[in-house]
Amino acid sequence: MVSAVAFIGSDKVAAANRRGDLLIWNLLSTGDKSPEPARRLVGHTGPINRLLCSPDGKTLISAGNDRAVRFWDALASDGNPGTIVMNDGYRFVGVTEKVAKLPDPPPPVTAKVVEQKPIREFAGHKEWIWGLALSRDGKTLVTGDDSKLVILSDAQKGTEQRRWKVKQWVRALDISPDGKVVVTAEQLPHLSEKEAENGLRGWDAQTGEMKFDASKGLSGGVTTVRFSDDGKYLAFCVGSIDRDGPAGKVFLLNPTTGEKARELTPAHVRGATDLAFHPDGKHLFTCGRDRVVKAWQLSDGAQVHEISLSLQDKGKQGPFTPTLHAVSIAPDGKLLAVADAEGRVVICSLAAK
Amino acid sequence: MHSTEHMSRRSLMRALLTTAGGMAVANWGALTHSQTIAAEAKRSGKRCIMLYMEGGVSQIDTFDMKPGRPTAGPFLPIQTKVNGIQVCEYLPNIAKHADKLAIIRSMKTQSVDHGIGGYHMHTCYPSSQRVPHPEIGAMVAKYCENPDSDLPSFVKIGSGSGLYGAGYLGPQFEPFVVADDGKLPGFANPSVAADVQDRRGELLNFMEERFAEQRPGEPFAAHRTSELRTLRLVKARKAFDVSAEWERAKARYGNGSFGRACFTALKLVEAGVPFVEASHTGYDSHNDNFPVHKANLQVLDPAWASLLQDLQDRGLLKDTLVVWTSEFGRTPAINFQAGRDHFGRAWTIVLAGGGIKGGQHYGASNRDGFEVQDNPVNEGDLFATMYKTLCINPRAKHFLGSRPIWATPEGAKPIEELLG
Repeated sequence: MVSAVAFIGSDKVAAANRRGDLLIWNLLSTGDKSPEPARRLVGHTGPINRLLCSPDGKTLISAGNDRAVRFWDALASDGNPGTIVMNDGYRFVGVTEKVAKLPDPPPPVTAKVVEQKPIREFAGHKEWIWGLALSRDGKTLVTGDDSKLVILSDAQKGTEQRRWKVKQWVRALDISPDGKVVVTAEQLPHLSEKEAENGLRGWDAQTGEMKFDASKGLSGGVTTVRFSDDGKYLAFCVGSIDRDGPAGKVFLLNPTTGEKARELTPAHVRGATDLAFHPDGKHLFTCGRDRVVKAWQLSDGAQVHEISLSLQDKGKQGPFTPTLHAVSIAPDGKLLAVADAEGRVVICSLAAK
Repeated sequence: MHSTEHMSRRSLMRALLTTAGGMAVANWGALTHSQTIAAEAKRSGKRCIMLYMEGGVSQIDTFDMKPGRPTAGPFLPIQTKVNGIQVCEYLPNIAKHADKLAIIRSMKTQSVDHGIGGYHMHTCYPSSQRVPHPEIGAMVAKYCENPDSDLPSFVKIGSGSGLYGAGYLGPQFEPFVVADDGKLPGFANPSVAADVQDRRGELLNFMEERFAEQRPGEPFAAHRTSELRTLRLVKARKAFDVSAEWERAKARYGNGSFGRACFTALKLVEAGVPFVEASHTGYDSHNDNFPVHKANLQVLDPAWASLLQDLQDRGLLKDTLVVWTSEFGRTPAINFQAGRDHFGRAWTIVLAGGGIKGGQHYGASNRDGFEVQDNPVNEGDLFATMYKTLCINPRAKHFLGSRPIWATPEGAKPIEELLG
């Protein structure tokens, strides 16, 4: 299951999965054929939840359930030769309790790759890391985990600057372009909406004191929160736990006060999972459990485009349809990458959209 | 009614209810029990607390971990105080009680959907049978209740696990259901003084006794049982009020509904209730299994561990069976939404106390957890084991009309290795 995706420049894409695999593909020479991965980044031992690339495109940063933040040379091409086998799991077996014979898994795909190790690790967390953000100048890293801990650290030196506790497990976070505010999406997950605790809060990055609490009225767990690069918008989407109906709501907030400015409709069905601002500063993209990528116009909140990703295996349709977990947009704005739980990375062209 | 001047209230009620044929009142003070059963109950002194994980709890993410295998998931195993027994990292307090736990890792059960699974794992019979089987709480109420107690004998804290009822045992063994946190409903608070309430109850009993003599039948018995329960509840409500002690206990149990439910269960069995079920909801994680289980286990762990510790400290554990169960397990493989689905082919139930030999695994699943490898245990075997340790004959025969029905299905065998 592909869980995270990030562009490296506009010609490479990195993607990670729940097993801790982290692969990089070169996109230039692909044509219509699916490319094979070129590099495998070795180090994570558990699900990778978040992945991002530094603004200068030189460093890839990953974090996940093994409690580690790892820094990778995003551009290096040298390393040890290795082999990666894809489709080697049990991924179809999980839903077959009522089926007498288990279907065969898809044929494995073997690829030659260059294996690389991290250039640095940050081990300040003792719990699963779901919050990962880098300041727009690339100097400050903000991370958050399931022990309700947020840590600010120097992204270049790896040294911790300050830490503070928030109210619940951190599911996502971001730091404002001016570096003054950290916004955290928090949750105590539960299948029952009544039992779950959801939060969205703004914190002073210098003191760790709460600046605003936008939790009231949240209809579910926030999956992603993100400032636009110009600081004009703060967007978040809801859908950390699958819910029936149009549960995947997307909102724009006042980035200073946390007050709701606009709800973008129509919502994703069953939950929205990730969002990304387009480099043009005018559009927002979201993806969801409904296997749809939506493009929104920031000026009026209108949905201007929709990409529906059909399933390769139609038998998987239904309430447990594979989710689109994450979305990333290339710095030149021409390509969009989607992390698909069906086990693939989907690259969409935005040139004509 | 001049004779009442020479009778205590309890004597009066016993006399009235005995005249009623012994049908209506049990599961509330057992005033209608025969002396033989009463003597047996007193002799066994057995109790049971069932912790029911509603929705289907994942065995691989708790007690049957598969580190290094593709089915493992992200949770890590930790060592317990018993060599060879590991549990999930999010059960650190339970790990300290591993010497008390008999971990059955070879449950192989038939009913893998919620309604039918809940029924099956409460009665040990499939719901497809037309016979209305009683759930285990009703069976324990029948055989283990304290005849001298004013308390209900079968309490369910929360109804999340489903209500399957007393079946052929009759309405007097129906569960008494309270809120998820163990608190009584508002109607339990009397609107008049206790002595006035008592006199009203006696008058009602007297009048309904006369009425019942002319109108035998289960509907009336059920109705009458409800009325009497309400009256008795008003008298016994203090046993459910754990507020004062909860203030000190909540830091250990976890300050939430399930923690309070477990503490209330402790206080109820301490007060003499033979069967209490506390349900912990929210395990049906077809999506997002891991954060959901992680959050649930962090609620379960302190509550369950504190319950075991307090039972032990009070000298109650040796006679109190604590069952950790669910309607089924969850699939070893992880689906496309990071979930695990319903699974009955190889899952885990844990027993402790009540004479169970702790500190052991029983049975095993295979390398990836898809099938039972050693010593399969079915629903009947599990119930035969629980009944035997509770001093209930697993082959106790009951009748529905003239039809004989047994407490466990034919062929069900207690797991002798688990019995002390």
